[in-house]
Amino acid sequence: MKIENTKAQMRKGVLEFCILSVLKDDDAYVAEILGTLKDAKLLVVEGTIYPLLTRLKNAGLLNYRWEESTSGPPRKYYGLTETGKLFLTELNTTWSELQNAVNLVTNTKKQQENE
Amino acid sequence: MNKTVNINLAGTFFHIDEDAYLKLQRYLEAIKRSFTDSQGRNEIIADIEARIAELFNERVQNDRQVIRIKEVDEVISIMGQPEDYLVDDEIFEDEPQMAYERKSSVSKKLFRDTDNSYIGGVASGLGHYLGIDTIWIRLLWVLLIFGMGTGILLYILLWILVPEAKTTAEKIIMTGEPVNISNIEKKIKDGFDTVSETVSGVAKNVSDSVSGAAKNVQDAAKRADFQKQGNKIKSSSKTFFDTIADIIMFFFKVIAKFIGIILIMVGAIALISLIISWFSVGIADIVHIPGMDFVQIAITDNAPMWLASLLVFFAIGIPFFFLFYLGLKILITNLKSIGNIAKFTLLGLWLFSIIALIVIGLREASEHAFNEHVIEKQELYITTNDTLNIRMAENNLVRNRYSRHDSFKIANNENGDKTIYSSDISITVKSTTDSLASISIEKSADGRDYEKAMARAKNINYIYTFKGNQLYLDTYLSTLSKNKFSDQEVEIVLYLPVGSHVKFNNNTNNYLSYGMPSNYANHYLKVTEEGVTCDSCEEDENEFEVNIDMPNIKIDENGIEIKGDKSHLKINDEGINAESEEVKVKIDGDGVNIKSDK
Repeated sequence: MKIENTKAQMRKGVLEFCILSVLKDDDAYVAEILGTLKDAKLLVVEGTIYPLLTRLKNAGLLNYRWEESTSGPPRKYYGLTETGKLFLTELNTTWSELQNAVNLVTNTKKQQENE
Repeated sequence: MNKTVNINLAGTFFHIDEDAYLKLQRYLEAIKRSFTDSQGRNEIIADIEARIAELFNERVQNDRQVIRIKEVDEVISIMGQPEDYLVDDEIFEDEPQMAYERKSSVSKKLFRDTDNSYIGGVASGLGHYLGIDTIWIRLLWVLLIFGMGTGILLYILLWILVPEAKTTAEKIIMTGEPVNISNIEKKIKDGFDTVSETVSGVAKNVSDSVSGAAKNVQDAAKRADFQKQGNKIKSSSKTFFDTIADIIMFFFKVIAKFIGIILIMVGAIALISLIISWFSVGIADIVHIPGMDFVQIAITDNAPMWLASLLVFFAIGIPFFFLFYLGLKILITNLKSIGNIAKFTLLGLWLFSIIALIVIGLREASEHAFNEHVIEKQELYITTNDTLNIRMAENNLVRNRYSRHDSFKIANNENGDKTIYSSDISITVKSTTDSLASISIEKSADGRDYEKAMARAKNINYIYTFKGNQLYLDTYLSTLSKNKFSDQEVEIVLYLPVGSHVKFNNNTNNYLSYGMPSNYANHYLKVTEEGVTCDSCEEDENEFEVNIDMPNIKIDENGIEIKGDKSHLKINDEGINAESEEVKVKIDGDGVNIKSDK
């Protein structure tokens, strides 16, 4: 078992949640989404996102429209659908629960170590 | 200096160095391989291309600037190595279809491995398919070649029918590894060195999930199909009924493969034996091996033997070829089709052969439509008091025969003409009220019409000589080979006055017609109004000599003698003499004598 793989899997697991979160307020095109995720160090390479976007779109959580760009070809702008919004709300709840749970577990351990 | 290529990437025009172009192309191809159609492959690739175009745009200051390998490397490092595109299956297990496709892509297929080939890559391809070292398959070929050339035929068939592994993906499928980007990249990088290297190299390089899959494949290749199926069932969350259906399907597949193997065996054996027999007949016809002439003579029609045998070959061989092909198709799913043209040509050839054979058969049958005979009669000067001795003339042409029907020979006669000799001769005795005996030679033959049959019958030569009381009959009839063999027969009918005597020599035995008991030979027969009767013939006239000479048992013309440890039995001209430990029995001219020691 390699640490890189575990890390990658952890990141991939929350990636879908993060993509939906990025699109919560505003539609964005791929480079923008990538920018946000890369700044947050969630993504190391860009390639990972494309299959995920297509998956989410095929699942009906995302849709997209084409928009003309000043510099280059038209861009694909992704946005959340109604289902996507519901999905995101549910994921948010799960995430906070998970966060709490993880915090609880790790903190308890730390406290035990401190004692 | 570098050659450049113009490309259109997501609607934008780029100049790109050739080596950089090739690298980019390989990269995109590798990514493409990691997705299935159900995952929206085309869309994903379009998105990726669009992003790459964007990244290139950022790096190009003006239209004249060329994209070099450096820019491509940069873009690849941003986009990530091919395996980074992999969507982890474990996380997205809710799409069983995707999982299925991924698994199905790891099943092996049979290709010809031309990279490791001696001739056509059939052996190395089979080696990959069966998971054994190529050397064993090559050895098997060599053995099969010694086995009547079976190997050569099979090799050529497989060479034609099994496709060559051309693309990298096919080469990977051939070895049974899963087609993923890392494997493809690896293959390209390694320049396809050795398969074992690739397998071990892949295991180190790919991410956990991929190496897991690769292990699965390696394991599965070693294990039986059933276990592979079992793994499949375990790994995916299928319902109970899906599982049942899978098991049923699996057994169907096993049965189908079994049928396939049987079909291949039947087809191959039939084809091989046909080819061997065709070659022996065909070559004999062309080369004129002595003794093979009779085949040609037997065909009364003008269809040459090689043509007839070729037609038979097609008529029988083509259906078997299709059987063989069907079997291969069941066993090997990616078998190259022989093509519609070939199929219809074979079908046409088959129909043509059947029709031609029917025509030849009809003509052949019509050769026997008429049976005509000519009769030659001659008086034999013999009186009722004389005995007519009949024997076959000794000749060196037809010898060592056991039945008169099996003898058929082609030889040159004294004039050097090719002649058919046949021993289809029968002898009958009939009584006549005339005072003079006579012999009647009935020659008969078949023909397409009356004239032909008649001409053939007339062309039969049969010779007999009559000297004193001796009638010498030839053992064969002859006719020139240009007359063809067409059921030529000679029936000898002897008309003898009532009350006269006749004696058939032993050597006539095989020629006596069925109405005459064979044990009449070598006896004086009396001609009556009904036919002939035998005065001296005894019921048990089956003369045969038994000679057994063993330490305890002795049977010969003197009688029977059996010796036991303490007993003794003797039967001979004198009588019966049996002795045992306690009793003695003796029957002879003196009477019956029974003695007991007690």
